[in-house]
Amino acid sequence: MMNTKGKILQLQHYSVNDGDGIRTIVFFAGCPLRCRWCSNPEGWEARDRILYIASRCIGCGRCTSVCPRQVGCDLNAPGEREKCVDCGACVKACLEHARKHSVTEWTVQQVLDWLEKELIFFRESGGGVTYSGGECTQQPEFLHELARAVYDLGLNQAMETCGYFPLEKLQPTLDLMDLLFMDIKHMDRAKHRQFTGVDNDLILHNIAALGKQNKNIVVRIPTIMGVNGDEENIRNTARFVREHLPEPKLELLPYHSYGADKYTQLGLSYDEQAFRRPTDEELARLRAIVTEEGVEAVSYR
Amino acid sequence: MLTERIQKAKNEYVNNKPSISYERARIWTESYKRTEGQTEIIRRAQAFKDVCRELVVTIFPGELIVGASGEFRKCGILTPEFSWTWVDREMDNFSSRVQDPYEMTDEQRAFVRANIFPYWKGKSLEEAYLAQIPPAIAKVAVDTGIIDIDSKWRQSVGEITPDYQDVLFKKGWQGIIDTCKEKMAKISLAAPDGLKKYDFYRSIILCGEGMIILAGRYREKALAMVEEEKDPVRKDELLKIADILSRIPAQPPVTFQEALQMIWFYQLGGILMENPLSLNPGRFDQYMYPYYKYDIEHKLHDEDGILELIECYWLKLSEWVWTISANTADFFAGYNQFQNLTVGGTDRNGKDATNELSYLCLKATGEVKTHQPGLSVRIGHDSPHKFVEAVMELVAQGTGFPAIHSDKTGYQMLKNMGYETEDARDWNNCGCVVPHFRKTFEWTSTVNVNFSGAFEYATNGGKSRITGEQMGLPIHTDRKFASYEEVEQAFMEQFDNLISISVTGAILAQKLQKVLIPRPFFSAVSESCLEKGMDLVDGGAKYTIGPVLTGIGLAESANSLAAVKKLVFDDKVCTMDELLDAMDKNWEGYDELRKLAQDAPKYGNDDDYVDDIARRIGNHYYEEAHKYTDIYGKTFTTAFMGISNFIPTGRVIGATACGRKATEPISEGVSPVAGTDTSTPLAAMKSVAKMNQDIHSGGTLLNMRLSHDLVSTPRGRNNLASMIQSFFDMGAFHIQFNTLSSKTLLDAQAHPENYRDLLVRVAGYSTQFVHLSKTLQDSIIRRTVHDEY
Repeated sequence: MMNTKGKILQLQHYSVNDGDGIRTIVFFAGCPLRCRWCSNPEGWEARDRILYIASRCIGCGRCTSVCPRQVGCDLNAPGEREKCVDCGACVKACLEHARKHSVTEWTVQQVLDWLEKELIFFRESGGGVTYSGGECTQQPEFLHELARAVYDLGLNQAMETCGYFPLEKLQPTLDLMDLLFMDIKHMDRAKHRQFTGVDNDLILHNIAALGKQNKNIVVRIPTIMGVNGDEENIRNTARFVREHLPEPKLELLPYHSYGADKYTQLGLSYDEQAFRRPTDEELARLRAIVTEEGVEAVSYR
Repeated sequence: MLTERIQKAKNEYVNNKPSISYERARIWTESYKRTEGQTEIIRRAQAFKDVCRELVVTIFPGELIVGASGEFRKCGILTPEFSWTWVDREMDNFSSRVQDPYEMTDEQRAFVRANIFPYWKGKSLEEAYLAQIPPAIAKVAVDTGIIDIDSKWRQSVGEITPDYQDVLFKKGWQGIIDTCKEKMAKISLAAPDGLKKYDFYRSIILCGEGMIILAGRYREKALAMVEEEKDPVRKDELLKIADILSRIPAQPPVTFQEALQMIWFYQLGGILMENPLSLNPGRFDQYMYPYYKYDIEHKLHDEDGILELIECYWLKLSEWVWTISANTADFFAGYNQFQNLTVGGTDRNGKDATNELSYLCLKATGEVKTHQPGLSVRIGHDSPHKFVEAVMELVAQGTGFPAIHSDKTGYQMLKNMGYETEDARDWNNCGCVVPHFRKTFEWTSTVNVNFSGAFEYATNGGKSRITGEQMGLPIHTDRKFASYEEVEQAFMEQFDNLISISVTGAILAQKLQKVLIPRPFFSAVSESCLEKGMDLVDGGAKYTIGPVLTGIGLAESANSLAAVKKLVFDDKVCTMDELLDAMDKNWEGYDELRKLAQDAPKYGNDDDYVDDIARRIGNHYYEEAHKYTDIYGKTFTTAFMGISNFIPTGRVIGATACGRKATEPISEGVSPVAGTDTSTPLAAMKSVAKMNQDIHSGGTLLNMRLSHDLVSTPRGRNNLASMIQSFFDMGAFHIQFNTLSSKTLLDAQAHPENYRDLLVRVAGYSTQFVHLSKTLQDSIIRRTVHDEY
């Protein structure tokens, strides 16, 4: 079981905003949603892709010299990425760290070995592990084995999920969690589909069902002006949360464009102009609406 | 909120350049001309008394705590009996030098050259040291940046924590004088040490009389100013000062202001006597607490009134300047006097003793933002959470204060040095990060040992890569190594040679200080010295502790050895000859190899590949130093302190295998090399905690930069507190933070005029950023900023 393998984007230590205390976030690869603003596009698929960081490249050609397909330095130049078979020979050869794997394979034991290094900080701070992604529920066996082992260590566990999963299958894993962060990206079904590629029915159903089970849930809204940052949507979301959760809590996470570079690194385009981060005033107003609706506006900042 | 009085004084403090006063040196020299033939201890005490009698007395506008070392508010003094030749050489450039400039006029220079220096020719400590040091030792240990002992033969030793609560506050100077008179009456002068004891007590009496005379003169000055003063409020203040000075420092204090005036006068006396570094106020919140309570109970002051007095004292500690050579200033940059003041921690029974004053001290530093005192806190699991939060709030202000210490590790370090349990619990900080105790005589920062020198000599047949001179042992002169173990072995052999040279240089300094600079003024507040009739320098203290060696470049050396192991012996990407050639050529033409070297494991990322090497070096250092004893029969002690020594020590080292280029800074304390701890602060802490810190009883130091965002909320600050507690649970001793953004620092570099009060953490202490040289500023900016992703 400790040998169960999973696809991971990265382990991020010393995280302090996704649950209590000091935490390590395990970013799982693969996601059923395609949110247009997504900041981790390398996590859409559970397959390894080579990232190219143009700003670091000095054009020395070491990558091309080891590449079985003679891909040029600029992996994202027209025609080059099509040749690439993601073998990773260039990642090893590059001295400038201009090439990176997007996804690596880990066993449960390997993840635990890394978590062990952080144990003293978890224990002192009341922190632990947060599963995120991509979407952690996309690798249910690996997630469960890992969560079981971390549970046995006595650590605090949180999950950050889009909520788009078959509840019955995930139930044993969810039962191991101390805290669930569940996104509602839009209350409007059509808009949810428009912006994320899927309907919100399953997501809302899962939140409501887990609410009935008295799970400790914080609903999160990645708050984006031009998508879901309007007062009506926030109010509707707050009402849903109040209605279905015994201790209704909402966290508004203002959109950031830190992911834009990753699109470039993958050779994808990204329309930065389409999304706007709410101003501090707008955010304060939206939080006030949440509170007005009888929902606690929480923050892990 | 600062009061108007404090704001005005602070403005002067941040805007004025320090000036040199030769008054103390002039009076001292005249006195010495009159006392020829007397014993050294009497001559020093008499000269001190003469200074107290003649030195100009000045009360600056708004001052509540009075006493100044010269005519200037920001004032440095000269102590030619320690050294003067460097002053003669350097003073024409005092105002233009890069690090720690001073103002000095042509008239002043002419005066000291005509009237002061000629007398001291051939008589100073410095000249004696240079005359006696064997040339082979001097070659490595005098102004080389490899072994540096200069603060112990060009300057006073300093490094004292006066025992206020058990001696000075109990007896007052009059009580000390009376004790000495009683003791003198009982001495058998015919005993072999009879005359020595007689002079010892006589010298303390002279010191005490001097202090009482000086106070009397300040009293007269205050009364004279009352006559001139038009503002009735200030008139009252001056009358109160005069009233206090009618009792202080002869009698024990009763009120807070009296106690404060008493400890400042003691500080001032110490300055006039020796111009010392590290004359530490110590556990201020403990010994001042009874007086705080007295004032509050008798409604003499409220909390705000106490706070203002504390801030007056903070300014006093910051206004005088330690006058030092350009070389010393490189090692101890930023006008720093290293007066360490410790708050928090347990009492002698082991119970947490944090009190209202502990909080007021944090508040004072946060408000007045003076670079002195060096504010340290002791933190343990029993510290009140509110106190820990107050500490984190001060951290979040980005002043670099306070230095945060583990209560337990400090205790453990003192226990390891043989302190009694109750005394070990009562520890304070000395200088920057040395665990210390008030009944101690110890050279806490004796020698700076450049570890990277050992690596350079190991890989270059004992020669300097920069000058080509033979500085180390002539071993492996063919530069051939069959295994990594041989390289590490060569490092250790060169290292041992450097330790041997360090010890030789330190012992010579000890021998000379013992004869030339007896210390009656500091012995006066040691019960043990008073009881035995024996000066500190003769071993009179309750605890005489062996000298501390300070290691510099631990991380840099470990990184370089790890790079050799990785590149040459494990991955075999190059031969040893190629790597050596790359270092010889300062990596010119070896760009690719340098990249690989930079990618080799680096200390500070919780990677045992390199951390194990660092730990071996640290353990070896401890074992080696402890093989040597000093002139008191005490073993040498180890430390990894910081100060600003990682810059001058780097300047003399050629390229190193970790990818560092020639002359770049090395590393400070147990900190990672700046910019190489790229994982997380947690990983950096874990590497650092592997160093068996408790055995390095001279103190260990870690500086870290944190993004301000991480501590901008209460939640963030509590997480930081958890990190620190975890770090201490792993056995670490000290951590200190800069939480300023690089943007702020770059802006301060470009527009110093807007940032005169910006305090930053250098290494072991904080000082004004604008007072640091460009190189030092750059290296602070380069320290890895730990941010969340």
